[in-house]
Amino acid sequence: MSINKDQAEMLNLLGVKDKLELFSDVPQSVRKPSFRLDRGISEHEVLLEARSNAALNRGPGMLNFLGNGIYDRIIPASVDSIAGRTEFLTSYTPYQAEMSQGVLQSLFEYQSMMCQLTGMDVTNSSMYDGFTALGEAVRMAYRINGKTEVLVPECIYDGKLQVIKSYLEGLPVRITKYAMDAGTGFLNLDDLKSRINGDTCAIICEMPNGLGIIDQNVPKVQEIKGEALLIAYVDPISLGILRAPGEYNADIAVAEGQQLGIHMSYGGPLLGILSFKRDYIRKSPGRLIGETVDVNGKRAFVMTLQTREQHIRREKAMSNICTNQALMAITATTYLGIVGPGGLRKIGTMTYKNAGDLGKRLRGMKLAAKDQFTGKSFSDVLIRFGSDQGDLREKLLHKEVLGGTTLAGLCAAAGKKFPHSHFFSVTEKTTTAEIEKLAGILEGI
Amino acid sequence: MSYRQATYDEPLISEMRSGSTYRIPGDASAAVLEDLPGEILRKDLKLPEVSEYDVVRHYTRLSQMNYSVDLGIYPLGSCTMKFNPKLADMISTFEGFSGIHPLQSEETVQGSLKVMYELQEYLKDISDMDAITLQPLAGAHGEFTGILIVRKYHEDKGDLQKRTEIIIPDSAHGTNPASAAMCGFDVVEIPSGPDGTVNIEALKAALSGKTAAFMITNPNTLGIFEDRITEIAKLVHDAGALLYYDGANFNAILGITSPGLMGFDIVHFNLHKTFATPHGGGGPGSGPVAVRAHLKDFLPVPVVSMKEKRYFLDYSMKKTIGKVSSYFGSFNMLLRAWSYIRYHGSDGLSENTLDAVMNANYLSKKLSSGFRIPYKPLKKHELVLSTEGTGRKALDLAKYLIDHGIHAPTVYFPLIVHEAMMIEPTETVSMNDLDNFAEILLKSLDVDEAELKKMPRNLSVGRLDDVKAAKDLKIRWD
Repeated sequence: MSINKDQAEMLNLLGVKDKLELFSDVPQSVRKPSFRLDRGISEHEVLLEARSNAALNRGPGMLNFLGNGIYDRIIPASVDSIAGRTEFLTSYTPYQAEMSQGVLQSLFEYQSMMCQLTGMDVTNSSMYDGFTALGEAVRMAYRINGKTEVLVPECIYDGKLQVIKSYLEGLPVRITKYAMDAGTGFLNLDDLKSRINGDTCAIICEMPNGLGIIDQNVPKVQEIKGEALLIAYVDPISLGILRAPGEYNADIAVAEGQQLGIHMSYGGPLLGILSFKRDYIRKSPGRLIGETVDVNGKRAFVMTLQTREQHIRREKAMSNICTNQALMAITATTYLGIVGPGGLRKIGTMTYKNAGDLGKRLRGMKLAAKDQFTGKSFSDVLIRFGSDQGDLREKLLHKEVLGGTTLAGLCAAAGKKFPHSHFFSVTEKTTTAEIEKLAGILEGI
Repeated sequence: MSYRQATYDEPLISEMRSGSTYRIPGDASAAVLEDLPGEILRKDLKLPEVSEYDVVRHYTRLSQMNYSVDLGIYPLGSCTMKFNPKLADMISTFEGFSGIHPLQSEETVQGSLKVMYELQEYLKDISDMDAITLQPLAGAHGEFTGILIVRKYHEDKGDLQKRTEIIIPDSAHGTNPASAAMCGFDVVEIPSGPDGTVNIEALKAALSGKTAAFMITNPNTLGIFEDRITEIAKLVHDAGALLYYDGANFNAILGITSPGLMGFDIVHFNLHKTFATPHGGGGPGSGPVAVRAHLKDFLPVPVVSMKEKRYFLDYSMKKTIGKVSSYFGSFNMLLRAWSYIRYHGSDGLSENTLDAVMNANYLSKKLSSGFRIPYKPLKKHELVLSTEGTGRKALDLAKYLIDHGIHAPTVYFPLIVHEAMMIEPTETVSMNDLDNFAEILLKSLDVDEAELKKMPRNLSVGRLDDVKAAKDLKIRWD
């Protein structure tokens, strides 16, 4: 125990000999005898150790065709600069609104921009990540209509489905899958329609879908959904070129926002975007930032409708969420502010173009199966091979290439139905030369 | 009084129009979209069109209208707003960590897995628990994960139909009852005893064959250590229920005792509190959950394991609750917590606890000259005072504090203390700053109530109209 002069004075005022005496209420029987943990080391030593750990990782600098939800996109330098500002980084939830207008206004701007992007009425000020936001969306749908069956596409990733199931524990809601069309790779409208009935709580549609395809049937679901709610899980970058879910009558829109200026960081922290129709506000989870005025009539921002939240409503709250992803929301806002609508449109267009080029090149290989989905890919290009490729990822890795994620690895059922299928994902960064290099390597295997 | 927060009449970014300047590489003609049907394409995309330099200035100005822990004491109770080390900021930007994709193969992410494995070991050691998941993304998310484990445990024993209740003290954080309810349990609230700790008789009366778990934090939200914790643990276990530790207040006991030693079955950590990862204006957080050996098989998958010096994602938990988030947890926060623990070590972590508790008790003593501080005088990491009897509202005193450039404590919580101010100074505040805080808070009692109502005046805005915000609900720019 170390004691400096100030501390000696403090202990003196408290009338105790040492700091440990302040723990007289902790019974001896539960005192911690020792640690396995080492003693502390200097900053310099931690830094060296961290560096050597980072050096055990591989990936940056390699040819990267990984995606399926998380992407290595361009991040403007200014985004990191703003996200790293200590006033944003080291502040807490804006409980004292007058002292926290910076965070509050930034989050209000986030809500506004996400509404513009998704075409929805309302966006809350963030959820943990895309999958948990989807889980919360399903819970919200149940609160809205009380119905007990949720329809999901058969190609939904297993991990995503597992998270939805976790969020449905304790609710009398069951999950049923609807089929995908084996030719186009779109959702099968007839199959979906046959499954919609009076018990249908919500229909989850993905855009692009789990096969990576821009699903032309998703906007048509509004015509058959009846009383059920349409939950659209969308790729936010794709909204630079594709119709917004608000335009095809989605009731709730959910997205993973990592692509909007957030580093991949082995999958966290991410950003859950949750948008919905105005009628559902009072059934919605999470924080909302609202505009108001101060005593002098000046525009200002506060957390509002907090009576939906756990710190006021306790067990009757809409969700238990408290800490969210505020910094990631500010990061995404900065990103969209910098690239602007023209930039986002170009990023979406480049991604689509690169996906088309890669698909064309790889599907033309001898290795490729004759039978390929006719639907267009947005960024995750699913290539069906004519035969089992063994551990393709491993083989590519030997050539310093990341990619070749199997459909079976992401969704076992879809992998069984469409065997020998591997993903190669592109972004706006992908070049023709890189696509050619990948094709060359695959042809050489 | 010389404090003034930066104040700008800052427009919303949607009201700015200097035109986008940022360049995206490549040549993308709209013609490439022609192979998609027109009805699926976006016609109109309304987003702000602002130059890069204006965006940077806009958010820099906004940031200046925001308090942060780098500016000073931030004594929100149960939030543990301690100094966030710059070392962790630096490490988190290493491309070898930030540029890693979650679907990479294990052999390419040995460095990340090593950090996660070591953090798992550190947290198990600190908590004296046997197994751990790093997947939960915040404290409340950890609670959700922990209660799903409670469910699965009772389900596995064929007991879930019967065990429908979770008992929670009335002093608990709001997330506890919310998490229990979210997982389908009924919440049974029990009152606190006269000294502010769990009322053992009330607990005994509440416990039954219907009890699935008892959730508490220790020390509790009054900053008081539950000294009868082993007795509580025995009562709960004898009833066939599990004991859940809300780790929000871990900073008060780290190194002195642990949830494992106290008899808890499940514990969640708040890495953004105890282990100083930055809170980002409301998140991200990180909420790992540790369990005793008998619950290991219920953990979400995967966890990180090691075999022959090779780290791997371990999916072997037979009765797993499944998954609770997209990937493996908030890696960047895990990395920061790893560096915090590595830097402070066993000696530093324990010393931090001692200092945090000393600071809280010192502040309590100083403030007791002007305020009633109910329940037991011996505090741990935080204290709760009441402004009742001073003729002043807690809210008004909070506004007085912020007007002096000091972030206010949590107000009106815990609910069992009227006009509460819940104050947690943490270990990273000097005596000078504690004295200054106490002096200003005590001085506020001499200020006329009408005058207090006019505060704050030194911040970017004056007192806000919360009612209007809810009534005229405007939650986006139009």
